[in-house]
Amino acid sequence: MSIIEIKDLNKTYHVHQKKEGLWGSLTGLFRREYKEVCAVKDLNLQVEQGEFVAFLGPNGAGKTTTLKLLSGVINPTSGSVNVMGYVPWERKNEYRRRFALVMGQKNQLWWDLPARESFRLHQQIYQIDNKEFNYTLTELSDLLQIGKLLDQPVRELSLGERMKMELTAALLHSPEILFLDEPTIGLDVIAQHNIQNFLKYYQKERKITILLTSHYMKDIAALCQRVVVIAQGQLKYDGSLGEIIDQFSSTKEITLSLDTNDQPTGLEDLGEVLEVNLPRVKLRVQRNKVAACISRIMDLYTVEDITVEELPLEEVIANVFAHMSQPSDTDKPNEEIVSSR
Amino acid sequence: MSNTVVATTISHTIGHRFKVWWMIFKISLEERLAYRGDFALGTLMRFLPIVTQIFLWGAIFSAGMTEEGKLFGYSYTDMVAYYLLTMLARAFSSMPGLATGIAAEIRSGEIKKYLIQPVDLLGYLFLRRIAHKVAYYAIALLPFAFVFFLCRGYFSSFPDLLTFGAFLASLVMGFLIGYYLEACIGLVGFWFLEVGSLLFIYMLLSFFLSGHMFPLDILPTSVKTVIELLPLKYLAYYPPAIFLGKIQGWALVYGLLIEAVWLLFFVVLSRVMFHFGVKRYSGFGG
Amino acid sequence: MYWLKRYLNIWFAFLRNSLVRDMSFRNNFWLELIAASSWVVMNLGFYILVYQHTEEIGQGSGWHFPEFLCFLATTTLITSVVQAFFMPNAQEFSELIRTGGLDFVLLKPIDTQFLVSFRKVSWSSLGNFVFALGLLGYSVWKMTTAETDPLVLSPIICLLYPLFVLLGIVMMYSLMMILAATSIWLGRNQTLYDFWFYITNFSRYPKEIYSGAWGLPLQYLFLFVVPILLVVNVPARMLAAPFRHQENPGLWYVEWYLPIFMVGAAVVSLSLSRAIFQWALRSYRSSSS
Repeated sequence: MSIIEIKDLNKTYHVHQKKEGLWGSLTGLFRREYKEVCAVKDLNLQVEQGEFVAFLGPNGAGKTTTLKLLSGVINPTSGSVNVMGYVPWERKNEYRRRFALVMGQKNQLWWDLPARESFRLHQQIYQIDNKEFNYTLTELSDLLQIGKLLDQPVRELSLGERMKMELTAALLHSPEILFLDEPTIGLDVIAQHNIQNFLKYYQKERKITILLTSHYMKDIAALCQRVVVIAQGQLKYDGSLGEIIDQFSSTKEITLSLDTNDQPTGLEDLGEVLEVNLPRVKLRVQRNKVAACISRIMDLYTVEDITVEELPLEEVIANVFAHMSQPSDTDKPNEEIVSSR
Repeated sequence: MSNTVVATTISHTIGHRFKVWWMIFKISLEERLAYRGDFALGTLMRFLPIVTQIFLWGAIFSAGMTEEGKLFGYSYTDMVAYYLLTMLARAFSSMPGLATGIAAEIRSGEIKKYLIQPVDLLGYLFLRRIAHKVAYYAIALLPFAFVFFLCRGYFSSFPDLLTFGAFLASLVMGFLIGYYLEACIGLVGFWFLEVGSLLFIYMLLSFFLSGHMFPLDILPTSVKTVIELLPLKYLAYYPPAIFLGKIQGWALVYGLLIEAVWLLFFVVLSRVMFHFGVKRYSGFGG
Repeated sequence: MYWLKRYLNIWFAFLRNSLVRDMSFRNNFWLELIAASSWVVMNLGFYILVYQHTEEIGQGSGWHFPEFLCFLATTTLITSVVQAFFMPNAQEFSELIRTGGLDFVLLKPIDTQFLVSFRKVSWSSLGNFVFALGLLGYSVWKMTTAETDPLVLSPIICLLYPLFVLLGIVMMYSLMMILAATSIWLGRNQTLYDFWFYITNFSRYPKEIYSGAWGLPLQYLFLFVVPILLVVNVPARMLAAPFRHQENPGLWYVEWYLPIFMVGAAVVSLSLSRAIFQWALRSYRSSSS
């Protein structure tokens, strides 16, 4: 049996529809229109123990809502979820002791206190015995290199340091499942890298299950074997990152360094010319024609250097999203005005 | 919320200015009306404390050592009328959230948006406040009228037109003093980041010494003389006292003049504080 | 009893963290302490003024000056505890809802209501508790040494008084939780504090002042429907026994039916607050991030 099973999950919000202008506000005092917004729509998903899964999707696609449903913070409109044999929104203590949620934009540590105090509180709340607590804390603080920061008020820490503290707090009780919502948001490249390395190491060591949402493709490329794309609350793709690239990036980029500064002729016949900045030339070529193209280039020009690259991941994903948000016949608009009070 | 609107004004013509003012006013009014749950509750609740005051004084008068049915120069009906009128005065002069709002914007650095955009903080907040008040009066008018109609028996006589004019003037000036006084407290945030306690002390003093809790006339004469020198009395005590004829003749004229001077003082003080506060703020690099 | 020990441990951690936090803003702590106690002192001053012109508040009610001091001390005792332990949490609760911080609270393997209502402690509000104890001591001394009808304290009363003060606190806590829970539905709830202030305002006076055609229904409303008038009145009456001045103090059950009723009211209001809180949690939708 899978560690996480989601069946036909739906979550709909009632959103108050504010009318334009002063008159709208005045009439809003007496009568309000609501619309229904589907945050999650007929979602089906299974995750196996030990998987590291990334949730991808444009803003407002329902990724965070799904994580909140899985962690039991909100109730679904319909459908069922089973995580380690528990229904999350029943919020049983036994369940809540076995997972953790980290949100990059939110902070759960006591702002004015050193993180160590918050950790102690966690120890009490999660009933971690002293020996285990000290061991885990030492291990985590060594891995994340935060030993010296434990006794500084959280408000004095940098964003990256704070994120490390949040992770530590979340892992103190050795959860079996970890939900990460944008864990590297707003961090600089080095801090992002540190967190990625840590997560990778920790997941390998402990074999825990991790679900992650992120905007940074680097996070996903570095960490996840499996990618789930969600758009408009629906599951659009489920598979490996490599497959996504195969499926959605049919072209590669070829960069040439020519040995002449004369304008070369016949470039247009090879593929789409992206950039001519002599002696450098950039072309976009169909994946299956790369080999043929290179041999023609060798015939036509004297080349000093040649590189072939995949499209940047960001661009691939943008293609995926663009492809997915094209309305098909079966897609209904997911917002409609349903009631007025 | 509405800061984007303000940003577009470059022109300084009077017409343009009015347009901007109207926009700020309108948006603030809309914002206010958006939270209807809060609004309706808040308005109704304001009438509750006065009920206990009326009963408390009823109990005090029932066993009090009155002279011709009067305590501290007030008959029981006067006392009730005083509290009702204080409600009205407070509806003008109270500025919930003003000082804390300013202080919070300074602390979080949001104050920068007023320094970047061509808009004057004090003027902007002033318009917003008027909008809030207008929204409040629009909803509170009915319950106010209802309560005053129910309690019309407590008003022994309606004052003459001149006194009534003075009463209105003191209400309007009470609003202005309330606004500028609280703005000054908020601006202290430029120097001390935590103004919460200062504000609490101000609220405390204004509750007891503005006449909100009791008419200042019950204080011993020596204390009263000192308290009368403070501007706090204009926030609650003064308008009802005028209405009930406690202040008459030249005393009333002087009283209103002194009130105007206090108003001027706080307007100037807030401007000066804002000027130096911004200087200090930008000096520290925000 | 294992869970009790566990929850107590967590509560001690809350107390400790709050103290550490308060102490790191020492100036503010002292300011808050002074501000909070001057409120009580000024309130006391007002009644001292009033009692210079009156024998008792409410003709024949028995609330003479020393008795009324006892009433005032009881009020302060209860409010200071509520302000120290529950008020900061109720205020934070609407903030938790607005910012979505409640998500984290819901994740913890511990009772959510417990975590929400005991997380923060405002130590500076406990200054008033000490002041109230002093005031209580003074008033008891005044009453027991009065020339006419001195008060005789029985050990039972000395035991029951703190117990009923505790019940009063429980009732105030329940009311506060009910109000706080409404902010889940109302979203931003600025008026929560005002509402609380206005409602509890009714509890801070002897019930005798609500008399006459308008007063009596009000008195019964706040005794039996929204029973906040019991909160201070029952323990204060028990200790100060203002009715001892009356010629025939009445049958025992006339004086004791309110305390007995209060026990029931406290149980009911606590369960009600629990039910409403759970109900409100179910409609929590979490702020979008």
